[in-house]
Amino acid sequence: MDNLMARSDAEERSAGFAARVAENQRRVFHIAYGVLGNWADAEEVAQEAFLHAYRKFPSLREAEKFRAWVNRIAFRLALNRQRGIRRRLVRDDTWHAAGPGDTVDGSTHAEQCVLLDRLRNEIEGLPEKLRRVLQLSIVEDMDASDVALVLDIPAGTVRSRLHAARKLLLEAMK
Amino acid sequence: MKDAMKNDCTKWHDPLVDAVLTGTVSAGLQAHLSACAVCTEQFLAFQARRERLDAMLPLVAQGAEPSPDFRARVLAAAEASSQAKRTPPWLAWGLAGGTALLVAALITSFALRSRTSPPVPQAELATAQKLAQWRAPSDIFLETPGRELLRSTPKLGVSYLPVATKTDKEKRP
Repeated sequence: MDNLMARSDAEERSAGFAARVAENQRRVFHIAYGVLGNWADAEEVAQEAFLHAYRKFPSLREAEKFRAWVNRIAFRLALNRQRGIRRRLVRDDTWHAAGPGDTVDGSTHAEQCVLLDRLRNEIEGLPEKLRRVLQLSIVEDMDASDVALVLDIPAGTVRSRLHAARKLLLEAMK
Repeated sequence: MKDAMKNDCTKWHDPLVDAVLTGTVSAGLQAHLSACAVCTEQFLAFQARRERLDAMLPLVAQGAEPSPDFRARVLAAAEASSQAKRTPPWLAWGLAGGTALLVAALITSFALRSRTSPPVPQAELATAQKLAQWRAPSDIFLETPGRELLRSTPKLGVSYLPVATKTDKEKRP
């Protein structure tokens, strides 16, 4: 009887966790990718974040709690990894980024790659506080309150830092 | 006049960039733009740059997507980690320790057995001695007449004559 109850509890946990992964996987991956700029590293970090979340799942069953927690852990893990691999400057080209089924215009795409690379460099050159806010804000589905939860700062501060970051980028991207 | 205009433009640079980013142009800036062709041109250039930036920025984070099997891999890894967790560490260590003790005991017993022969029971020993001393009744026919003589034949250096021999000291006067 106890065995049966334990099994059904485990199954329920697995099903709940699978649903949370499905809801959050794109955003978590993009958070990591925004920091690391490398597909393989971003996948590893995202997977690690979900495994941490799985261990804590009994206290993260609520969707909102899970979302905030996994966003934060993914961002921290990505920053840790970035510190570890900063010397490795090779980044994925967006040729890799384009899905296998996508058709791309070669010259336009190459130009876009150069611009994107330049933009990444400019972002790297931003003051850390502004950079962190920008890296999180550019992720789809992350509003100021989500970013505020990850960085543990007020949403108003997020907005003002984002404005400052965009202003610097606008000046830099001539 | 030109310097005054240039100073005025410098003063309007920051509000101009803010206006491009927020999309809200103040009345003062609007008045300046309508009077200044240079700032108007700059405003339009900044607007174009902003559009390009808005298009590019999401690509920094969303330029790639997780692989299609990402979710399956995460769930498999989670399942594997939970299975590893289900075996409590004390049980794993206990099993490992028990196995090590058993193996050590077996090795020791084999080593001792090979060094010392097992004790022979007294009953078996007595039977073996009897067997060793046993003579078949037909053994008598194998006896030769010389055997008894050989038994009494003196060994080397031992005299069989019942004569007392003198030593060298006794022989000397």
